[in-house]
Amino acid sequence: MSSLSDQHLVRGVDHAAFPTFDPSGTVRFYRDTLGFPVVHSICAAGWGPDDHPDFIHFFFDIGNDDRVAFFYYFGLPAPEVSKGDVYAQFGDETPEWFVRSRHLAIHVDSEDHLLEYRRRLDASQWPVEMQIQHETIESIYTHDPNGYMVEITRALRPVTPQEDLDANLTIDALVDIVQRPGAGMDDLLVRKAELIVERAEAWQEGQVGR
Amino acid sequence: MTHRLFMLDVPENTSIAAVAEEVPGVEVDRIGPYFVIASEEPVVIDRRATGARHAVWYSCIGGLDGCRIVQWDKDALRLERR
Repeated sequence: MSSLSDQHLVRGVDHAAFPTFDPSGTVRFYRDTLGFPVVHSICAAGWGPDDHPDFIHFFFDIGNDDRVAFFYYFGLPAPEVSKGDVYAQFGDETPEWFVRSRHLAIHVDSEDHLLEYRRRLDASQWPVEMQIQHETIESIYTHDPNGYMVEITRALRPVTPQEDLDANLTIDALVDIVQRPGAGMDDLLVRKAELIVERAEAWQEGQVGR
Repeated sequence: MTHRLFMLDVPENTSIAAVAEEVPGVEVDRIGPYFVIASEEPVVIDRRATGARHAVWYSCIGGLDGCRIVQWDKDALRLERR
């Protein structure tokens, strides 16, 4: 066992990468509208398989030294998109909530900062589509020129320690029940109640003096 | 108590627990950081009385012991004996 074996070593998102067929729209959205600086780019000749096109890989700073990155492939035809984005297309039968489930959420520190990004987007061709107060966060949403849903979010309050316990009980309950045929929310809540009874009191006692 | 609903004690949920406590026959106790909303009879919690916004209302239940949800919509949460 090394001295690192029990440590949580990662430090956030280095970059999340997506293809684009509209690099100029992408630059207008991320750099010119949102104000995310371009911090890195790679101009690469096609490599590897014979059919790999030449491409530009470019990065925008999303704060915290994290980056969102794009690949633009020269000559690659753009897909037809009626539902979804340029990376993933869906048929009309796919519900919108499912399509929206995969998205990038970028953090801001305050309501003022959230509303500043709302102002920038609303003045652009990509206005905010929704502003929602969730359980403990408030978010604005729009779609970028590639069809990717982008969320900007702020915490309504700090996360409390008991929410970490609750999250772990939820996930342990889910793992316990999800293989059962037809498992649903009722199964999860019953199993989670058992875990609450088993662990919640001891957790509370462990918090004393922390 | 036959029915026990567990609800995490976070600021968003306190008004829901408070409304539950006013329901006749309901006792609100604690286990660790959870409220335990217990009753021998079916329990109905009026959503509007709680003032809970959409996202909070539909994620407020932490666990169910001895009861099941028979209504959980914009109007009310109703629990009955399992």
